[in-house]
Amino acid sequence: MATQNTIRVSVRRRAATLSFWEQVYLFEVIRGLWITTHHFVLNLYYHILKLFGIRKTHPLTPTIQYPEECRPLALRLRTLHRLARRDDGRPRCVACMMCETVCPALCIQIVAAAVDDPNIEKRPKSFDIDIGKCVFCGFCVEACPEDAIRMDTGILDIASYSRGGMVLDIDRLLSLNAATERTDKEVDQLQKWLLQ
Amino acid sequence: MPTLTIDNQEIKVPAGTRVIEAAKLLGIEIPHYCYHPALSIAGSCRMCLVEIEKFPKLAIACHTVATDGMIVHTNSDKAEHARTSMLEFLLANHPLDCPVCDQAGECKLQQYYMTVGRHNSALLDNKIKKTKARVLGPHVILDSERCILCSRCVRFTAEISKSHELGIFNRGDHSELLNYPGKALDNPYSGNVVDICPVGALTDRDFRFKVRVWYLDSKPSICHGCARGCNIRVDYLRRRFHHNDGKRIARFKPRHNPDVNGHWICDAGRYSYKQLENEDRLLTPQVDGTPGGWDSVLAGAAKAFAGHVSEFGVNSIALITSASLSNEEMFTAQELFGNGLKMEKIAWRIPPGPENKDDDLLIRADKNANSFAAEKIFTSTSRAKDVEEVLAKTEAGKIKAWIVLDADLGPAFGDERIAKAAESLRFSWYLGSYRNATSQACRFVLPSTVFTEKEGTVTNFAGRVQHFPAVVSPLGGALPLLEIFAKLAGRLELPTVETNPARVYQSLGQSFEHFAQPIYAAPTAKAAPTSKVS
Amino acid sequence: MSPVMYWTTTVAKSVYILVFPLTLAFVLAWAERKQSAVMQDRIGANRASVFGRPWLGFVHMVCDAMKMFTKEDFVPETEHRFLHHIAPGIAMFFALLAFAVIPFGNQLTIAGETIGLQVADLNVGILFVFALTSLGVYGLVLGGWSSNNNYALLGAIRASAQMISYEICIGITVIGAIIAFGTLSLQEIVLAQGTHLLAGWLPRWGILLQPLGFLLFFVAGIAETKRVPFDMPEGESEIIGFNLEYSSMKFGLFLFTDFVETVLIAAVTVTFFFGGWQVPWLYETGFAFPWGSTWAIHPNIAALLQMGAFVGKVVFFCWLMMAIRWTLPRFRYDQVMDLGWKWLLPLSLANVVVTALITLW
Repeated sequence: MATQNTIRVSVRRRAATLSFWEQVYLFEVIRGLWITTHHFVLNLYYHILKLFGIRKTHPLTPTIQYPEECRPLALRLRTLHRLARRDDGRPRCVACMMCETVCPALCIQIVAAAVDDPNIEKRPKSFDIDIGKCVFCGFCVEACPEDAIRMDTGILDIASYSRGGMVLDIDRLLSLNAATERTDKEVDQLQKWLLQ
Repeated sequence: MPTLTIDNQEIKVPAGTRVIEAAKLLGIEIPHYCYHPALSIAGSCRMCLVEIEKFPKLAIACHTVATDGMIVHTNSDKAEHARTSMLEFLLANHPLDCPVCDQAGECKLQQYYMTVGRHNSALLDNKIKKTKARVLGPHVILDSERCILCSRCVRFTAEISKSHELGIFNRGDHSELLNYPGKALDNPYSGNVVDICPVGALTDRDFRFKVRVWYLDSKPSICHGCARGCNIRVDYLRRRFHHNDGKRIARFKPRHNPDVNGHWICDAGRYSYKQLENEDRLLTPQVDGTPGGWDSVLAGAAKAFAGHVSEFGVNSIALITSASLSNEEMFTAQELFGNGLKMEKIAWRIPPGPENKDDDLLIRADKNANSFAAEKIFTSTSRAKDVEEVLAKTEAGKIKAWIVLDADLGPAFGDERIAKAAESLRFSWYLGSYRNATSQACRFVLPSTVFTEKEGTVTNFAGRVQHFPAVVSPLGGALPLLEIFAKLAGRLELPTVETNPARVYQSLGQSFEHFAQPIYAAPTAKAAPTSKVS
Repeated sequence: MSPVMYWTTTVAKSVYILVFPLTLAFVLAWAERKQSAVMQDRIGANRASVFGRPWLGFVHMVCDAMKMFTKEDFVPETEHRFLHHIAPGIAMFFALLAFAVIPFGNQLTIAGETIGLQVADLNVGILFVFALTSLGVYGLVLGGWSSNNNYALLGAIRASAQMISYEICIGITVIGAIIAFGTLSLQEIVLAQGTHLLAGWLPRWGILLQPLGFLLFFVAGIAETKRVPFDMPEGESEIIGFNLEYSSMKFGLFLFTDFVETVLIAAVTVTFFFGGWQVPWLYETGFAFPWGSTWAIHPNIAALLQMGAFVGKVVFFCWLMMAIRWTLPRFRYDQVMDLGWKWLLPLSLANVVVTALITLW
């Protein structure tokens, strides 16, 4: 009966219990060296075979040769922003500042202007996204009441030689289109822009 | 004195009190659109429906007079259902263009939808198209689709401005708010209809698409446009300066004060914020039109002053001050120049032009914010109170130097006369905020801040002392006038000048009984005090 | 030996002993990338190319060097710009200077003159080597201190603490080797390893005389190179090190010093414990195998063979140190200190005592 009343206290050790030989460490080092050397020799064998053209592929390296090879992007992946257009080509954006307000990185800057068309009334005079600050959270897309800002361009490699180059203006944002509706020619043009 | 019960709370109210006002005294806000405390009752929006026991139907709280023994339920199921349904009707033809609407963020439709609405629209018919973006007058633009026909604006033009520009035309769901043909909404109080419009139907043309309201912070202040001293709220940007053309102050809104301005301000005061950050602001100290640092310009100014005094004596110098300075600045100027340096010629009186007249609502002929205090503070020592007299003596060669405190003499006396009079001066200082004929005629220009960039008190035409805080930081290199006085006192080896307005006001209260009542908040208090009767 | 001959040979030897570690260090910088890649199932640097080929990633090393030389040389606001400038040089200078006493071969006979294959045959060679490696830490400490940066200074302090801890162990371990060989001259130590044990079947290398000594020396030697798992002073991945305020080639020099020190430790290890330039059963006149057969070769050929053997041994130990660097994670600072003071130091003291007792007996 006494055992039922015993409170079991389990002592949790910080690290896994090591045996004496493991604590000596030297043999563990040698074991580790054995694993790495094993990989080294095996890989070297395949590399040499490949170097002399005996094998075409290297069976052990999973390396993807980016940018020649790319992994397919998920459709819902958040990539570089773009501004969608209306059917008549004018921007859908009405400068309501929802995205600018919700942006946690404060990377969107919009200046509004009036339009004569009473059914539109307002448009963005300038719409700058500082990709250098953007955290790609996608809140702007969620917040947009006009479905004007979207993150479906499939462009991930964004780089520039200056901070100013990371700021995309309204013309650039309007010129992009969705990755799913891009023609081969447009892909080439995009490559050129990304490489410049 | 009827006693009634609202939501199980008993309250005694004066006879004739409406239920909505009685509820407000208890801290219960009954949703409403058309009711406005300063206007007559219309009862058109039906949002304030409440359940009153022994009444056969729901009653509108804004028009029902409280009677003894009345038992009101504002949150009963019936009342809540009525409210939600009423809101659904009001939104039936609403275009839902909140993204382009300037009212978004301070719109009563948005607010009540989130608090008492939250319904899904059950209406299937197409919405009625109406006039959009119609310019009603110099300051107001109308979007009829957003209008809920509460008629607040119509009642304002009929009862307050008495100019009768607006009316509701047509019938049924074609009813539309419009201006009477050939009549523009251009009365001097037209901006107030934007404030009282509970939705986005009437918006401000000046504020249109400048900045979304949720980017704005607010501080209470006092309008400096005339001697009325209307209570205002200054809405300003604290960050995101790419909005509002890069300027910080976005608009003035009236602040309710039943003793001064009620709910209203005039258009002149409402749009006076524009000059606060315009290109005429003086931003750097100047000598003969050449910009310089504070130290060098102050050194030159002090040297010119000392040389002049040793040669011609202090009585050849006139102090021309604007009557719009704060009480504290006037008092410090009087201490520094009148009592300290024994200058006898301190002038501030400029008669208002014939185009300025008092009207029977708010506008005062005297466009200076603080003439009352100037009369109190400077009268004791000054022997030349009229600027006209100082000008005449300058032209006669008796006055050889000017110290101008933010006074623009051009409009009253003509730019040429000022420039000509200033030519004969041995030296001149201009301590002010704006570039004008007077500042250009003066040799040493020291830029001071405008009232939104400094703290102080002003006294209106009725002697009421009102406090205003510093809303934004000084623009460019400008400094508050009190600090410029302190720097000058240091250069001229005069006693130290206090730069804290609260302490200056204490000394002011010791010298003049009118200002004895404390008005600054105790140092620990967080909120700025509202106006107090002296 | 004529003065001309003396100076010519000395200069030639000096150039060789400078070029050897620097070349090997360059190769190590390449191996750092490529060997780690091969060990980790990666491909490694293969983008920069000349004539359309990456040349096993060597082009990257050239590009890296060009980058180092052309980058902006950032100098922090400090009162000791001079020290900041020369600190990387100090570190590199002492690392290279230590090679002067490393014997890289036996002797060549040219035109009747015998040329010892060692720049300076000091009779206190061992002390010279460890004096210089001890001085090398000044480069780090001065660099960290003159950077006018708290993090750099902390890195320098960690560096000096680690260097001192492990130098004591190295010094004491070497005493064991000195007792075993009875000399302080490195050339004589290598010569002493030319004989054989077990009726000529086993070369009499230091590792057989001092197995524990080798282990202690090698561990402490890796710690001396300041590389993973002992990269406390630098800690490039997260704890910032003494070279924080360095850029361009001054940073590159610190980086390169690590590789030169790797070569130095490998060379010293080989010299002490793996017979230096000795090839088993190879004597001046040729091979003499324990089963009785002989193979006579020219003495100069034999000397060149021995030089090659030295290079091969050093390269092997460089590879081993590189493999260790890419196998083990970094120790914590307290673990580094524990290992140095609580394990290596007592063990090396015991090693000295046991060696002395055996030698006496």
